[in-house]
Amino acid sequence: MTIMTAAGAGGRARLVPNLTTAGPFLALFILVCLGYLMNHDFLAMSNVLNVVTRSAFTAIIAVGATFVISTGGLDLSVGSMAAFVTGIMILFMNMIAGDIGLWAIPAGMAVVVVAGSLCGLLNGAIVTLGRIEPFIVTLGTMGIFRALITYMANGGTIPIDASLREAYRPIYFGAIAGIPVPIVVSAAVAILASFVLYKTKFGRRCSAVGANEDVARYSGISVPAIRTAAFAIQGLCVGIAAICYVPRLGAATPTTGSLWELQVITAVVIGGTPLRGGTGRIWGTIAGAIILEVIGNLMVLSDFVSEYLVAAVQGVIIIIAMLVQRLSK
Amino acid sequence: MKGSFWRKAAAFGVTALGLATVQSAAGAAEDTTIAVSIPAADHGWTAGIVYHAQQAAKEIEAAFPHIKVIVKTSPSASDQASALEDLVASRKVDALVILPYSSEELTSPVKEVKKKGTFITVVDRGLTDPTIEDLYLAGDNIAVGRTTADYMKQALGGKGDIVVLRGIPTVIDDERIKGFQDALQGSNIKILEMQYAHWNSDEGFKVMQDFLAKYNKIDAVWANDDDMLLGVLEAVKQSGRKDIRLALGGNGMKQMIEKVKAGDALTPIEVPYPPSMIKTAIYMTAAQFNGQAPIRGKVKLDAPLITKENADEYYFPESPF
Amino acid sequence: MTAVLTANGLSKAFGTVSVLNDISFDVRPGEVHAIIGENGAGKSTLMRLLAGHAQPSRGGLELDGQPVSFSGPAAAEAAGIVLVHQEILLAEGLSVAENLFLGREMVRRGIIDDAAMNRLAAGKLAEIGCQVSPKALVRQLALADRQLVQIARALLVPHRLVIFDEPTAVLTGGEVERLMGIIRRLKDQGVAILYISHRLNEVEELADRITVLRDGQMIGTFDAAGLTQADMARLMVGRDFSALYPEPLTPPSVTTSAEILEVQGACVPGFVNDVSFTLRQGEILGFAGMIGAGRTELFEGLLGLRDGYAAALRLNGRDLRIRRPGDAIAAGIAYLTEDRKGKGLLLRLRLAPNLTLTALSWIHRRLFLDKRREAQVLQSAIDGFDIRVRHSAMLAGQLSGGNQQKLLLAKILMTDPKLVIIDEPTRGIDIGNKSQIYGFIQKLVKAGKGCIVISSEMQELIGICTRIIVMRNGRVSGELSGGSMTEANVAMLATGAHDLHQSQNHNQPEPSRGPMVAVTTGPTLDHSFSVQGAMQP
Repeated sequence: MTIMTAAGAGGRARLVPNLTTAGPFLALFILVCLGYLMNHDFLAMSNVLNVVTRSAFTAIIAVGATFVISTGGLDLSVGSMAAFVTGIMILFMNMIAGDIGLWAIPAGMAVVVVAGSLCGLLNGAIVTLGRIEPFIVTLGTMGIFRALITYMANGGTIPIDASLREAYRPIYFGAIAGIPVPIVVSAAVAILASFVLYKTKFGRRCSAVGANEDVARYSGISVPAIRTAAFAIQGLCVGIAAICYVPRLGAATPTTGSLWELQVITAVVIGGTPLRGGTGRIWGTIAGAIILEVIGNLMVLSDFVSEYLVAAVQGVIIIIAMLVQRLSK
Repeated sequence: MKGSFWRKAAAFGVTALGLATVQSAAGAAEDTTIAVSIPAADHGWTAGIVYHAQQAAKEIEAAFPHIKVIVKTSPSASDQASALEDLVASRKVDALVILPYSSEELTSPVKEVKKKGTFITVVDRGLTDPTIEDLYLAGDNIAVGRTTADYMKQALGGKGDIVVLRGIPTVIDDERIKGFQDALQGSNIKILEMQYAHWNSDEGFKVMQDFLAKYNKIDAVWANDDDMLLGVLEAVKQSGRKDIRLALGGNGMKQMIEKVKAGDALTPIEVPYPPSMIKTAIYMTAAQFNGQAPIRGKVKLDAPLITKENADEYYFPESPF
Repeated sequence: MTAVLTANGLSKAFGTVSVLNDISFDVRPGEVHAIIGENGAGKSTLMRLLAGHAQPSRGGLELDGQPVSFSGPAAAEAAGIVLVHQEILLAEGLSVAENLFLGREMVRRGIIDDAAMNRLAAGKLAEIGCQVSPKALVRQLALADRQLVQIARALLVPHRLVIFDEPTAVLTGGEVERLMGIIRRLKDQGVAILYISHRLNEVEELADRITVLRDGQMIGTFDAAGLTQADMARLMVGRDFSALYPEPLTPPSVTTSAEILEVQGACVPGFVNDVSFTLRQGEILGFAGMIGAGRTELFEGLLGLRDGYAAALRLNGRDLRIRRPGDAIAAGIAYLTEDRKGKGLLLRLRLAPNLTLTALSWIHRRLFLDKRREAQVLQSAIDGFDIRVRHSAMLAGQLSGGNQQKLLLAKILMTDPKLVIIDEPTRGIDIGNKSQIYGFIQKLVKAGKGCIVISSEMQELIGICTRIIVMRNGRVSGELSGGSMTEANVAMLATGAHDLHQSQNHNQPEPSRGPMVAVTTGPTLDHSFSVQGAMQP
């Protein structure tokens, strides 16, 4: 053992490429190579942009899930919550569109962000105040949000007012400097989130709570406050995802966001964040979300797989992606 | 105007049967109960079922005060079975109109109801034992595929490359695809690829985007349900591609009927598998209890082509579907 | 007589940390072979190697002269080597008999044969003089009875070598005597015994031969006959005890020294009942007592770490109200937990996040983390507390126990507290680090901070404290200072000497009998005095 010198205290670890975080990107790279071999159209710019744009909802929500999971929680309600807040947003915009015209769109965005955060806060409050397992709490709210959107839609669709439809479309279909808006939004969310998780006291406390609740408590950290805040961030992300989602099809339905919770959790885990908590890998999560979407895209673009076996092959690829990630450690 | 068909029918029923009703009510004052058991609304088509069942109940109770219509929705097959037990246990039910969740699971619960002398009307999905039903009314999924294919052959001039979006692996999906494929046989229309999109708009959008990336030329696309067609249309619109001449769906969703009415170039026709069939079934059942209009047997609704000309008949602006 | 088991040059390293180095000895049938050494000398690791719980990094074992390697505890048991663990490893919700047969249940025609197991269990328990019913739930047993059940479980399999790992840690005088009886009987049956302990009086009484370990090194194997307890102690420690502890502090004057902490009527439901005390500037106040006496619970209750309340809590004369752990830290009270790995450090995280966790708001004044500042404070902690690290990116879990403890001490001091409460300052750490930590504690007091030390090591408290409060069954049973701070007095107050056998049920506070003054010493206590006497200059 040698006593460390002052020079070494800083960032020695930075210089060494960290293989644990490279796993998901390696898996993504391998998938992309495979995709190109199977069908050269796979790397056509339009296809690449389509796929990455499609991954934006999962990615944005999964960034929030990275917070929840890194604090040792779990949120199963995100898919239903997305549908529910989307419904609220559209109903609100339709209600005021007659009075304030296109200003209804930014107003609707504000409403959906607030609604999402409140839903997340509700999850967090029940978990911490009620001292109930997050799994059970969010399983409950998953059903509640899903029922509420079904009720609001009478089981059918809640379409956006025709006068807003075209004006709002660019938020999904438009581009900034050639990059589709949803990609820009999810990149911004990821940058902000990695700043919060890695560069702030709050982020440090999140990983401490997830790594060992007792240590955090004995260090004077309010564990319930941190947990609740993580759920609220999750809700906020769901709200932001809804903003990008609404213009795509212009409607909320009872099937909106169904099974997104599983997509999201899979993206987080493929991205290298352990389910037991303590560490969060925002960029890995983004890679995980893209991996999931690429798999779906490859299934259609390649001709190998019978339509009946698509789900099986997807499952196999997800497991292999996990193995690649594990072995690269 | 719209939906006036049923209102007229109801009004006609009142005038035609009014006297008889008054007489019988004066004579026995015997109330009649019709129970309607249907799946809860969880997607567009079932939402339409719920809407039409509730409309029928309202109209019939208004027209025939001695008939009571109870509509009960259930979120799963086992819930529906329990709902049946509760219905019969608590009151005398003269007739049951049921759209079963699944044929196998609900056959024996319905049989139990039948034993009490209840008139049974089965809608859409048949029971495994057809002797239970007094009246069976259903759409024709094979015809949905066939009618669409026939139109497509004619519109494309007998040749072209098409892609197909299927729903969820079930009998309904299989029948539609079979009707479609059989009708295309002998033509030069080639199905490039089929993929499941789970009767879901978001999935439809993704699968169509991928089809567009994979194939340079697509003449037509068929999504065997209108929910998926919504996503398909957005993907086509985003791509800006001009090679797609037809994008057809099925079921009769109101947004699609609107397109047909407006003479949309991409979606000029629609093929119904109308949720209003539940309403037809409830009316036919109610007819049993107003004078003498005995109905027994099987009624199969056709899947006619909806065009600009007859679209109004299938347009329910108030329905969620 | 040939040896049952021979160890040849056993070594064990975890990563680069070597915990055992080149240990060789043998144990023969009908012999009690004691292994002695300080905490952290490597005794328990050695036992784990012998009983197949771990594999040696180098060296090997011979069974009856044949080289052998155990793939796991089951393989060792099959060879007749059984280990009685230091910790109680029983399933609390199961009955005594179910525990005895756990994993080796008897079946009759495919069905668990409870009747037969209860019968056999009763026989085995009676054999070792344990009165409990085989059907009793372990949860309902006193600690000492649980220890006996554990011994019975070990003896249930055919055994040629029984290893006792600190078996008397939770036992009182009478119970220790009973255990010694069991061991002597085993010895008479020709069973080989390895007896690990740091209680030298027990070793002197039982052992035929003694192997001494120090800091993972083998000091030698000696015939017990030629060895006094003082010799053993010197061999274990390698120097005089006196060098371990710093020069004692002069106790502050009661009249002139300011009160730092005043606690009145502290209660923690189920653990602590009406405890009052004060801490003055310049003193190190010790809290002694048996496991379960309520010492840790008292302070956790006061600091908002568990439910508890006090009639009055004053720090530097000001009333405090502490609802959450954060309140205590903000008020200037730091608490070093006894559970270093479970509640003190994030073992999977690096050193800097661990060091600054309590003091995030002190160190990072702005919104974002000041990584450079963090690196600086880490470096000064490493220098100031002599923490031996290989590089700054290493994880807290990769430090040795002693260095972890120093990191933890540095961590709780990051907020510059006025009062420091240290629970088990040297548990499981080596002797060099121990001595350093005592020095740090004294430095804190000299810098004007209040300091309270909770410890189960009587020698430690006597060595560094200026005053000792002894707790028993959730109450203060007495207070010692100056010359009255002897192991005899501490032990007497801690156990309530005249009713040794009733003090087993530690969890339920019973009415205090007041400070014990009368001295009635059992054999155990008698011997430990002589050690103390021999070692103190």
